[in-house]
Amino acid sequence: MFNFKLPIPSKSTTMILLQSLNSSRDFLPILLMFIVAAGFVSFVMIVTQWLGPKHKSKVKADSFECGIEQIGNARSPFSIKYFLVAILFVLFDVEVIFMYPWAVNFRSLGAIGMFEMFTFIAFLLIGFFYILKKGALKWD
Amino acid sequence: MITTEIKESIQSKLGNFVIAVEQHYDFPVYIVKKAHLHEALKTLKEDPELNFHFLTTMCGIHSPENEGAEFGLMYQLHNMPNNWRIRVRAFMSKNDLDVPTVSDIWPSANWQERQEYDFYGFNFTGHPDLRRILNMEEMNYFPMRREYPLEDAWRDDKEDKYFGR
Amino acid sequence: MAVNIDPKNTPPGYEGQGFFATTLDKAVGLGRANSLWPLPFATSCCGIEFMATMGSNYDLARFGSERISFSPRQADLLIVAGTISKKLAPILRQVYEQMAEPKWVISMGACASSGGIFDTYSVLQGIDRVIPVDVYVPGCPPRPEQLIDALMQVQEMARNERRDYRQSERYQKRLEKYGIE
Repeated sequence: MFNFKLPIPSKSTTMILLQSLNSSRDFLPILLMFIVAAGFVSFVMIVTQWLGPKHKSKVKADSFECGIEQIGNARSPFSIKYFLVAILFVLFDVEVIFMYPWAVNFRSLGAIGMFEMFTFIAFLLIGFFYILKKGALKWD
Repeated sequence: MITTEIKESIQSKLGNFVIAVEQHYDFPVYIVKKAHLHEALKTLKEDPELNFHFLTTMCGIHSPENEGAEFGLMYQLHNMPNNWRIRVRAFMSKNDLDVPTVSDIWPSANWQERQEYDFYGFNFTGHPDLRRILNMEEMNYFPMRREYPLEDAWRDDKEDKYFGR
Repeated sequence: MAVNIDPKNTPPGYEGQGFFATTLDKAVGLGRANSLWPLPFATSCCGIEFMATMGSNYDLARFGSERISFSPRQADLLIVAGTISKKLAPILRQVYEQMAEPKWVISMGACASSGGIFDTYSVLQGIDRVIPVDVYVPGCPPRPEQLIDALMQVQEMARNERRDYRQSERYQKRLEKYGIE
């Protein structure tokens, strides 16, 4: 029914693909940069604890309230709608992340790939529809 | 401008509350007895023709040379639609510093009376929250009374030659 | 190509190709002196003069005071600029105590140093009645150049401070004199 050819790479392109997969030495600079960044942060944090003077007192440990006596607690309950919006954002953001490799390999995946992705999105849309009907995104 | 008709109207409405009337520059000043102070001020505010709805300021007076009437209070009232300004004064002796509060007539008098308590020591009866407002709470005297020397005699770090002594 | 830079105030040390070795005290002092973050406790006219010093004409930021903070937790230097009344004195003391060690205090202007011209019932006659002060700047208000000189003196103090000064007996005695535990 569908007139298409499977995209099998030729011999020369296969050689290039295999070489780029094998040389993990390319990733060495990234590892080094990571070590330097994390190492500098931890070095500074630990060394300042050793080098700096320490002085503890009750007044110093109080919360800073511009010099006057503090009254009460800064904790107060807040509305759950902020939490709901944040969690739902994370879920749909992960869905979008899955769509990025699909966008890159769109041609090579062909029509079957497109319909697979459509079913994936359809599952998530059913969930989204449920959220809308339940009123989880209502702001008031 | 306050014309003489208006001054006569004020005089008639206040009736026998007023002991004396003076004119200090632009301001007619009505001197009332302390016992009638609250009612006089209430009349001045609530009368629809006089309508002194705005208490511009109030301040304390201490003249130690007037025996029997050392302390005084001055209220300056303003009628904005007609632009009339008057002053009302009441005097009392130093043994009798209880004054009725006017914070039920003008809410802005709340803090102004706290300031007068802080600096002169007037005791405003009926005031919701009479405590010091500008000075530190531990202070145990009333600074603006004219009964202290100008300089602190106990300071030992001021050199005489710099101060012309 | 040799670059001819002569930085002033380099501590004594051993120099080599691409490195410089010095004692830890000197290195720490160099770091502290060149990054004093001020907390401007600005009350009156001296506060405006401080703002002028932080402006571009008399730039205080080139001495390292780039980030001024109004929170004592992240400040090294407390600049008290202006008249402090007796009602404000405990608040100033609280702000000073909540600063992190090491900390220095500049008392800017005549009012903060000694009460200035206000010898009255309500003005604190000098902030050194409540907190220990390192540098006094006279003037009403002091010129920006004077404040810069004061900052440079604090830099000199920070550069030459012993690393264990803040834990030492002498410092504890100094704090006790002011009743700060």
